[in-house]
Amino acid sequence: MMNYKPGILRALGLIIVLQLVCQFSFGQVHTFEAGLRFQKTVDLYYENGISGQYHLTNRITLGATYLSSRLGSAIGSNAIKQDNFLLSGAWMFRPKKPLKPFVRANLGYFIADYESDVFKSLTNTSAIASLDAGLAYTFKSPLRLNLSLGYNAITGNGAKGAGTLYPVFYQTSIFWNLAKRKLK
Amino acid sequence: MKKFILFTLSILVLISCNKEPEIDSSMLDSGLYFDQSIYQPEKYLVSASVPVPTPAQAVSPVIIAIHGYGATTFEWDEFRAWKGARTDFSISQVLLGGHGRDYQSFKNSTWRDWREPIIAEFEKLEKAGYTNISFAGSSTGSTLILKLLAEGYFDSHVKPKHIFLIDPIIIPANKTLTLVGVLGPIIGYTKVENTAGEEKYYYHYRPYETLQQLRNIINEVRIDLQKGITLPVGTTLKVYKSDKDDVADAASAVLIHKGIVSSTGNAPEIAMIPSNLHVFTRLNHRENIPAGSDIANQTKAFTEMANLLIK
Repeated sequence: MMNYKPGILRALGLIIVLQLVCQFSFGQVHTFEAGLRFQKTVDLYYENGISGQYHLTNRITLGATYLSSRLGSAIGSNAIKQDNFLLSGAWMFRPKKPLKPFVRANLGYFIADYESDVFKSLTNTSAIASLDAGLAYTFKSPLRLNLSLGYNAITGNGAKGAGTLYPVFYQTSIFWNLAKRKLK
Repeated sequence: MKKFILFTLSILVLISCNKEPEIDSSMLDSGLYFDQSIYQPEKYLVSASVPVPTPAQAVSPVIIAIHGYGATTFEWDEFRAWKGARTDFSISQVLLGGHGRDYQSFKNSTWRDWREPIIAEFEKLEKAGYTNISFAGSSTGSTLILKLLAEGYFDSHVKPKHIFLIDPIIIPANKTLTLVGVLGPIIGYTKVENTAGEEKYYYHYRPYETLQQLRNIINEVRIDLQKGITLPVGTTLKVYKSDKDDVADAASAVLIHKGIVSSTGNAPEIAMIPSNLHVFTRLNHRENIPAGSDIANQTKAFTEMANLLIK
């Protein structure tokens, strides 16, 4: 049986560190947001998950995201279970306005579970390299909403690559700024 | 700014207009090489060659062979040639609607038009008294069969005995198909680099309207598979899938494996074929001379299919 305690302790440690970072932060710089991301790939699946963003400067945001069809199309259906792990860097335009256009570069790892040895000769993993652009809206509350349209540069082409990695996606994310909550 | 917008709109209108390809007389698209099944249906369709079967013929296996998008009955000619003089089963080679004629006929067709001759042949056989009917589909032919299953078409008809899917397309290898709704009206059509031999049997130009239809049927069947398809009682299904296919991604077989169950709850049989040919059972007029392994793959698939049909 797996021992989950070290994982839990590490997660708690990360949360404490992030909370400390938020406590000593001000405005939008050096703040951390955590939230949910809902993504639809054109002609394929809904893949949803969790996302976090760290505002390095007024304009630069670093993020990490986990997305999966397990939390979307594959719930109660025969859709392939596939997971995306992403690290991203975004550039915000009009940083002082509530409505901010942004562009974002994403790098990551994709894995699909084909669930049968019959398909062991098929590629089911891939690197991810994508770009997306959209709008972020910061509310007066610690809430932020992101909408964007993106393009995956790496997709399966039949001869190589993961077959269910498609090019075009659109997503919406809802973030909660942890620093703002602590600063009240 | 207004001038820039007007200029951009004008360019878009210009590149969106007059998107008709230059068709020459070597191409199927020209209308000079109508599929032979149109002129001689008795050579291709069992319903035309034996419209009134004897009791023995009525229970003898008939397999309806269905080609793919842009192709013709040619795609299953090698199965007929392989069968030779055998009389223990018969083949009906169906020409899809809008196919095997000319560019405009193709352009004006929908996926429901493509499917119509499959239903017509099946119902003619059924009405004539045939009871041992099976299907073989290649590429989009397979997708059309899956749609019939998903719609429950066979609930009120003779149940198919066996279904064979050769390189079914559920996931396109070329993912730009997902953008056809946006890019299609701008580019008008795409083209395929056929060999000289293929030019008379495969459309050279693919109007975006038909690509949109292809995208529609693929998406519908993918969603049907997501929801789950149960085969009719007594029907078996086997998938043969090239593992490196630049038209129908091999992951298509994964979706079928996950999305279909027999009436007794079993997953369909899948055979992954070590091949880089799309529709590996068609070897004639390929760009390269078929390798020994290609011939072996074809022979093995045909032999297995025939053995199951006559079992």
